[in-house]
Amino acid sequence: MEQRASGWRIMLNTAVALILLFLLAPSLITIAISFGGSDQITFPPKEFSLVLFRRFFTEEGWLSSTWLSFSIAIPSALLALLLGVPAAYALTRGKFPGRRLLGLFLLSPIMVPHVAIGLALYIYFNEIGLSHGQLRLIVAQSIATLPFVIVTASAGLRNIDPALERAATVMGASRLTVLRRVTLPLLLPSIVTAGLFAFLIAFDEIVISWFVARAGETTLPIKMFSSIQFDFSSILAAISTMLTALSVIICIVVASLQKEKSSA
Amino acid sequence: MLDAPTQNLKPMVRLTGLGKTYGSVVALHDTDLSVPAGEFLTLLGPSGSGKTTMLNLIAGMISPSRGEIVINGRNVTALPAEQRGIGMVFQNYALMPHMTVFENIAFPLQIRKVSKEEIKRRVAEVLEIVQLPHVADRKPRELSGGQQQRVSIARCIVYKPDLILMDEPLGALDKKLREQMQLEIRRIHSELKITMLYVTHDQDEALNMSDRIMLMNGGRVEQLGTPHELYFEPRTQFAADFIGASTLIDATVAEVGEPALLRLPGGDSCRAFLHDRATAGTTGKLLLRPETLRLNQGNQAPPGHNLLQGKIASTLVTGGTSKHFVTLESGETIAIQELTNQNTARLQPGLSVAVSWPESAARFLRQ
Repeated sequence: MEQRASGWRIMLNTAVALILLFLLAPSLITIAISFGGSDQITFPPKEFSLVLFRRFFTEEGWLSSTWLSFSIAIPSALLALLLGVPAAYALTRGKFPGRRLLGLFLLSPIMVPHVAIGLALYIYFNEIGLSHGQLRLIVAQSIATLPFVIVTASAGLRNIDPALERAATVMGASRLTVLRRVTLPLLLPSIVTAGLFAFLIAFDEIVISWFVARAGETTLPIKMFSSIQFDFSSILAAISTMLTALSVIICIVVASLQKEKSSA
Repeated sequence: MLDAPTQNLKPMVRLTGLGKTYGSVVALHDTDLSVPAGEFLTLLGPSGSGKTTMLNLIAGMISPSRGEIVINGRNVTALPAEQRGIGMVFQNYALMPHMTVFENIAFPLQIRKVSKEEIKRRVAEVLEIVQLPHVADRKPRELSGGQQQRVSIARCIVYKPDLILMDEPLGALDKKLREQMQLEIRRIHSELKITMLYVTHDQDEALNMSDRIMLMNGGRVEQLGTPHELYFEPRTQFAADFIGASTLIDATVAEVGEPALLRLPGGDSCRAFLHDRATAGTTGKLLLRPETLRLNQGNQAPPGHNLLQGKIASTLVTGGTSKHFVTLESGETIAIQELTNQNTARLQPGLSVAVSWPESAARFLRQ
């Protein structure tokens, strides 16, 4: 009986390991290639070299695209926070008719395909005459990331005991004081989490960007995607490695924020 | 409602026709209440009795459907909670987890724009009062439940509100700590003489702590009085049943008099003083408190006592006291509480016994 149980356990563990390997293999292979230093795709790499990374920093276009992506992802994440956190507050704390419907509507960018959003924004921006390339991308990305901010901030708000806000009110605090001294400080980990995820999504997004970006506004994902259409350059592996590192760092920050919150 | 003993004192809280209705459900029937300054008044009742509704109405968490709330001479009925100048202690303490104990207690003072030095002085003072002088720099989560509740009381008394509301503040604590905290809250109340409205469903807590108890049931005030009055002179069957242990037996007035003669089921009878208007034929219940009853050896009642025959059904020894359940000839079972003694073990089930009590100890409650 025990023998069989441990047999099952070994099989289960093996299966889990295989699935994880299957999921991680592409990333791991890409990372390995990025340190190979060869212009050809060779796996396993024959030598260890940082030459591909060096090329990213020296070859023309890559750095400017990276800066463009940062200068779009950061403002759009902030814009999404500015809109999403108050919206989450209204949706979780408010009591007004149509609250659920409004919540559903604000989450719709998750449900509508990005292709459809991209096309819609392309038409809309042309219609209203929004021609500033960077602004188009910032607005578009903040729309795409808004639902993630709302979901994260709402979950954070639901974890804050309403009795705390009530206690502050009875002690004489105005609504603004309650918000400033109680709700927002307690919500801060969730706001940071939401902002980081919004940044990551906006940095990485390509479909909507492709629709609304003007000529010359090539974000890093757009540049990567267009370069692969002409020829594969191993430099893409180096960029992927760095993007993966960025994601992992952000996820670690988020996880430690969550841990801190649950111990509070 | 008549409120004779408090009429000449300045009321801290006055409710006039205060009521709350949700759709067709009446959460609180129109209620009048006057709480003199410095009183400790407990709102006691089962869940859904309206006690929390009344507390939330006074706190300003919900707005009333009818009536008026006056606190310290100021009509606050239409004022939002933050302008009512009251304090509140919650069951789950509601301390700010991101602030230290010092910051928590300083918070209401900062709102009132008290100077930094004054804040320091007053926080230290109230921490002394709640006997936690050394925890100022800790976060609430580093304190035990009892300590957290002391801090939340300190946070209340630090800004000297006209009135402190307490919503089952000891509900989350274990029994021993609860009894300790009851004394603590009583001590703080008598030291500071702040008017307190205390909500609980625990009758022992209410009896231990209150100047007066307002017993509530189904959104109405069942009885308002001192703990002594509620215990010894309950006016309704609900009050008799809710406060203290009791046995209620059907009874009919046979002869009016001092004391009156009551007819009990199975041909038994006894004498009791009538407190409500009653005539021969009035039906109701006879209230017997277990601790006023005695097991008798003989068949002869002492003068001024009632005596009924029965058989021991069972005995519960709970340490210093024992509870005997005696089945009367009519089939009714009554509970008798006595101090445990060496003879207790000899009271085997089935033994014929007599139960006696003074005529003044039982109450007749009309239907």
